[in-house]
Amino acid sequence: MKSRNAAKIRSAVIRYMLLAAGTVIFTLPMIYMISTSLRPNGALYEYPPRFFPKWEALTLENYDYILHQSKFYLNFLNSAMVSVSTIVLAAAAGSAMAFVLGKFKSRLTRILFGFIVLTMIIPGTTMIVPQFELATKLGLVNQLLALIPFYTAWVIPFSTFMIKGFMENIPNEIMEACWIDGADVWTVYFRIALPLASPAIASVSIFNFLTAWEEYPWANTVINDNSRRILPIAIAGFFGQHQFTQWGYVFAMSVLTLIPVVLIFILCQKFFVQGLTAGSVKG
Amino acid sequence: MITKSRVNRIQILGLLTPGLLLFGMFTVYPIIRLFWMSLCDMSFSSMLTQPYAGMMNYREVFQDTTFWTVFINSVVYTLITVPGQMALGLFIAILLNGIRRFSVTFRVINYLPVVTSWVIASLVFRYIFNTEGLLNYFLWKILGITSSNIRWLDTRWSGLSVAMILGIWKGIGWNMVIFLAALQQVPQDLYEAAEIDGCGGWKKFTCVTLPAIRGTILFALIELTIGGFNVFTSIKMITGGKPAHQTDTLLTWMYYKAFSTGKFGYAAALSFVMALSLGLLAIVQFRMMRNKNE
Amino acid sequence: MRTFKKILAVMLACMMLLSAGSALAEGEAVTINFWHHYSAQSAENETLMNVLIPAFEKENPGIKVNAVSHEWAELHDKILVSANSNALPDVARCDIAWLPEFQKMGVLVALDEAMPDFAEVSGKLLDSAMSTAVIGGHYYALALNTNSKIVFYNKAMLEAAGVEVPVSMDAWIEAVKKLSGENANGQQVWGWNEPALAGWNICPFIWSFGGALTNEDQTVATGYINGSETVKAIETFAELVKAGAITGFNAGDIPMTDGFGTGRYAMMLEGPWKSAELAGAYPDVAYGTAPIPAGEGGSISVLGGEDIAMFNSANKEAAWKFMQFMTSEYAETEMAKCGQIPVNKTALESETVKNADYAPFIEAIQTAKARPTVAAWSEMDNGLQVALHAVVTGEKTAQEAMDELASAWDALLK
Repeated sequence: MKSRNAAKIRSAVIRYMLLAAGTVIFTLPMIYMISTSLRPNGALYEYPPRFFPKWEALTLENYDYILHQSKFYLNFLNSAMVSVSTIVLAAAAGSAMAFVLGKFKSRLTRILFGFIVLTMIIPGTTMIVPQFELATKLGLVNQLLALIPFYTAWVIPFSTFMIKGFMENIPNEIMEACWIDGADVWTVYFRIALPLASPAIASVSIFNFLTAWEEYPWANTVINDNSRRILPIAIAGFFGQHQFTQWGYVFAMSVLTLIPVVLIFILCQKFFVQGLTAGSVKG
Repeated sequence: MITKSRVNRIQILGLLTPGLLLFGMFTVYPIIRLFWMSLCDMSFSSMLTQPYAGMMNYREVFQDTTFWTVFINSVVYTLITVPGQMALGLFIAILLNGIRRFSVTFRVINYLPVVTSWVIASLVFRYIFNTEGLLNYFLWKILGITSSNIRWLDTRWSGLSVAMILGIWKGIGWNMVIFLAALQQVPQDLYEAAEIDGCGGWKKFTCVTLPAIRGTILFALIELTIGGFNVFTSIKMITGGKPAHQTDTLLTWMYYKAFSTGKFGYAAALSFVMALSLGLLAIVQFRMMRNKNE
Repeated sequence: MRTFKKILAVMLACMMLLSAGSALAEGEAVTINFWHHYSAQSAENETLMNVLIPAFEKENPGIKVNAVSHEWAELHDKILVSANSNALPDVARCDIAWLPEFQKMGVLVALDEAMPDFAEVSGKLLDSAMSTAVIGGHYYALALNTNSKIVFYNKAMLEAAGVEVPVSMDAWIEAVKKLSGENANGQQVWGWNEPALAGWNICPFIWSFGGALTNEDQTVATGYINGSETVKAIETFAELVKAGAITGFNAGDIPMTDGFGTGRYAMMLEGPWKSAELAGAYPDVAYGTAPIPAGEGGSISVLGGEDIAMFNSANKEAAWKFMQFMTSEYAETEMAKCGQIPVNKTALESETVKNADYAPFIEAIQTAKARPTVAAWSEMDNGLQVALHAVVTGEKTAQEAMDELASAWDALLK
């Protein structure tokens, strides 16, 4: 028994050591980003390069610039507005579709669902050319509104797919009882299905939020005005202009952009895991 | 049954309409339009007329040497990053599955790269891998492994490697979470039975764990393959396709052709080929995993 | 049910907003959309938004100008795509290299045909600059501002190495080699920075060595881009790259301004905008300027600059008024204060211009040449970059690469 315990302890120690090593690898780039954002721009090509800035060289000047000189607030608001609109629209449209496709099965709904899932295979960026043409035809170029319907349409297949699983698990007996009481479809959807599927909707919404918050190719293609830029384009815009890059600004803005995401992630960790695993275990 | 009534049919339709409208207009229509564009001559001189051109764009794509370069880049990127993330993600999931304390903490930390946006992560990696960057200094002046600065970003395979390292770094957390969930559902008695049969750790892994989580492996494989071919932002930020398009991938090359040289027909044909082959690949992967287990 | 109605109302409102989005932008007065690539935080943009546009709108009540700033490359892409879906602006400030493409797409207005007073307006502008707007015998734009590149050198580095500012190409080769090596920290330094391998970068060398890209009519490349002088220029450049004396075009290199500001690059060939950037980011670096060293072909830099063009879909009357305003003495002098070299002859005579930092550039502009004004230029330019890359990495000899490029260009020029 004793040797078995020793083996267990040894295995646990190895596990923790490996995990700790992994943690270092996962966090080093982030720590370097934060440390770079805290040193003056002039020190970025200093010699020798340092992982941590000198204590006396620590400065908040990059943050000061980003918060006061750039259009950070505007970009932040744009990003927030686009992301929130996307998740609300996607939750409404996706859950309604999932309810119908999950609970009123017929050949038609099966074909429809198959088709929706099929479109998930196509990488979004491949459609950028016709989508840009569509946006210009609709007069949506350079409007924040050009982002919302496209993002929503992109996340609808995934949202429908995830929520449908939850909808299917709602016992038929509950619905039967409603029909007998004379309820109509909308009542059942709003009173029964939506509340029961709300955990799924919540976790899907977190993923949709991330998608919209970090999207780059489409926003970069369709938005022109600096004041209408969302955060990822604003960050990329700081980089590489006129053959010099103010890395301090780039990383200060990056840190500020990451804060809400990391907060949401840590607070909603449970929903994250639920959302991810719901799709994968069903396979 | 009551659901057959007219009111309810209209209501069902009402529930479907908003989603279908958005989906149809912004996803289905562009797919159809993409196909049509790929059959038309769309470049500078024909931009306003856009005449039908048959297979011209497809011929141009397949005869273009740069297309084959970027095609190989995308394939290599996918072949390395997909198994890389899956193996490391599964490995960490197995480690996490066996511990009690700090499990959630480790999980959160390992997942952080996933929620970091591509733009930010790419810029951090570019900064670290710069010829004058921290990594080179570390390798040369501190560890003494190298005797000069390595030009990571300047050649085809080293530039792609940086993008691949980023891809793996950013993807491990996602794999870890889904594999951990799958591992937790593997019945414990299977392991006990295997132990009684005298199976060692590795044998248990190959005979019990892997078959038990095959559904998850398939799911990850399909998702990540799509993701691998979708690589765009990291390439654009890290190498920008330099040198001379040798680090471009299918999508960054498509974007360059469309938006920098005005060859929309070419770009559409390339996109369509890509979408079609990914669809077929997904079906093949699905079939292969199915057959193996039946 | 009530909740659903609320949701429905919100959705309907969203949809109406969607459709109204474009209508809202119109407004009562005539609005002309002006796309440009003055960078958003620049003094030029300040002048445009706070001085020029208000002055124009005051002069022309009933015309509003909606100016949109883009990145340089992005503006090019945007115009391409927008042409495809008829969403072009009325007026745009275009890099002179883009005009031929846009002309070929058939989206530009031939001003000499459409505007009766064209000759009068264009007569006020520099002839050499206006030549960039001629395609197939017609004028498709007005010149707006012009520029060229000259040598910037780090005074301290040249002094320390005992190198004179090179006047001839032979002296330049020696200087660039001598300035390369290691600094006191053991870091590598380079004599010359070239941030890309495009035509904008390599043309000054080709021309100064006496080479050429195409014939005069821009119809044939064979015998020019693979002619002996051109090949010599490219061989020389590639040798210096291989010797570790030139860098800057690799993805991992220190960006040009940073490298020059921190004493890692001793010299570079750059435009008038560099002075302001250096003053902002690296005010301590002491530098001088000089014309590009002369070779067999003389001291020939590359002509840059922007034209202002009108698109087919424009409100022509209002757009033409705005174009005349932007090239007027007043607007050109205002822009000259922010470092834009004017093309308006009267503005060029002004004290502002004579005392400006960019006075040395005006001389270079006299001899500078424009890159080919053909629609296929961006494709040709891409081919040039690929070919040059093969030469500097030693995959091909300069002669091989240029021979291949010549036949590819011949096909594109047809």
